[in-house]
Amino acid sequence: MSKRQVSGVVILALLLVVGVIARLLIGRDPSLGGVLFNWPDENILVLRFGAVRSAIVGGACLGLSGLLLQALLRNPLASPFILGLSAGAGLGAMIAAWSASVVGAGSVAWIAFIAHGADGVIPGTVGSLAVLVLVYALGHRGGRLDPLTLVLAGTVVATICGALTLLVQSLMPPSSRGDSWMWFMGQVPELPSRGAIWTAIALLFCSFLASFQSGSALDVASTGDDEAESLGVSLRSLRILLFVCAGALASASVALCGPIAFVGFVAPHLCRLLIGSRHRALVPASVIAGAAILVWADAVRQSIDVGAGRLPIGVLTALIGGPVFLMVMRSRRMRAGEWSC
Amino acid sequence: MLKIDSLSFQYGRRSALKEITASSSAGKVVALVGRNGSGKSTLLRAIAGLAHPSVGSVSWRGQRLARLAPSRRALEVAYVSQRPILSIDLTVHEMIALGRFAARTRLDSILRIDQAIGLMGLDALKERSFHELSAGEQQRCVIARALAQHETNGLLALDEPFSNLDPGETMRVFAALQKSAQAGALVVVAMHDLSLVDRVAENVWWLEQGQMVAAGAPIDVLTPAKLQEIFHCEFVRGAQGLTLAARV
Repeated sequence: MSKRQVSGVVILALLLVVGVIARLLIGRDPSLGGVLFNWPDENILVLRFGAVRSAIVGGACLGLSGLLLQALLRNPLASPFILGLSAGAGLGAMIAAWSASVVGAGSVAWIAFIAHGADGVIPGTVGSLAVLVLVYALGHRGGRLDPLTLVLAGTVVATICGALTLLVQSLMPPSSRGDSWMWFMGQVPELPSRGAIWTAIALLFCSFLASFQSGSALDVASTGDDEAESLGVSLRSLRILLFVCAGALASASVALCGPIAFVGFVAPHLCRLLIGSRHRALVPASVIAGAAILVWADAVRQSIDVGAGRLPIGVLTALIGGPVFLMVMRSRRMRAGEWSC
Repeated sequence: MLKIDSLSFQYGRRSALKEITASSSAGKVVALVGRNGSGKSTLLRAIAGLAHPSVGSVSWRGQRLARLAPSRRALEVAYVSQRPILSIDLTVHEMIALGRFAARTRLDSILRIDQAIGLMGLDALKERSFHELSAGEQQRCVIARALAQHETNGLLALDEPFSNLDPGETMRVFAALQKSAQAGALVVVAMHDLSLVDRVAENVWWLEQGQMVAAGAPIDVLTPAKLQEIFHCEFVRGAQGLTLAARV
């Protein structure tokens, strides 16, 4: 790696470490109604460590998923949230939970596995990949994959998936619905389920290895389908492998934190600013950047009280990421059509 | 030896190539000519092993290129498309270095890349961003990448590589392609400048509506009468070779 790449990764790692320390120190005291900045007692510390762990793993999954989608689709606007993968994962998990509540998952082993497989990650992955295939097919215009048509298709499919998720949820018995409103706005659980977090860590590890190994191939894949194939990249194999990784990572983050907007979009762009475009360096950088962004967002929201408790993290990331998205969409390079493929 | 045997290709129901049969030995520059939409790009993609024919086959040194894995095929054939695409921000040097992705040994890669940069006159631009270059400079950059990629006796397939080049750069690029051919490569290049074809190509393959209507030496194939019939404009053949008459 070049000097710039190494220093960029070090800056991101420092950003993450400082964010972790800040999150461990920042808290709220409901009785005093203010922000506390101190080292908490052991019970509180366990909860804050749990939140830090969720934010690191969830953010890292989103960062890498966003990078893979942007690279493989040659679209700077791509991310698991914008393309509807997060909504598809949510719908997949909700349908599985509904099926289990109707049929009785406890009595049939294979239904239990599908419904609760790794705390919703398995049905979520099926949902996110189904959405990816659909959005990919709808994103073509005049025989070519058009960046803005792809985003439009993703937005519409995400809206439909969101509506279907609410529909399926309303069919479930009230006792099975849980605290789903908070889940829809994104959350950083202080007590994440062991299944969800360990599944996410395992998927993140495997996806990281596959992506890092494919770093040079991803650089070549940025040259267009015909040229990439002629330079020696098997695009079909690369896309199947890394789309599955991107879908599984989106699903893992949704199972852990719910649908969180724009982290998967902003993290790769931040990394490109710091270290350039080579994917061998972008892969680890995006993992660290995604984790750092979510940890910092969780730390910042501790100090924002909107009168009904802490600001949901998904709202905060959308408020920050939305304008960045618009800036990229209106950037000179997008207007010049350099990203069209 | 490149051998195209009864090659047909369809885009959905539309037939793009019909029963094309042709062959060429290595060490030559073959120009692929014809009107827009005549099937030149499709034939070039089929030659490069990127388009799988509906019927027939393309073989290079006895191997069917479309059946080879991309990593294996990249050692045999280098391809340049009409419109260079790069969705990430790379320097000219990094872009050209992508040509060595499939190389089995990295030892000579640095030398090959530097040679290609020198041949295309890109020394002064090699640290510039690819996206900051003019269309002609980008074109030279992707040709340099193909030169860095292809093996000495390989196959070079280029789709209208001169479309954005000024006359001086056109001659520079053609000189580099001829040098590759003299070293043992087969260069197949789709192009529209028939005067240039007449001067520099050893063989011409003429496509019309997906069919090969003529093949042979430029002087035999590019006759003024035939060109008038196809392109509805007047060509004259004189001491300077084939030229477009001033009056259209």
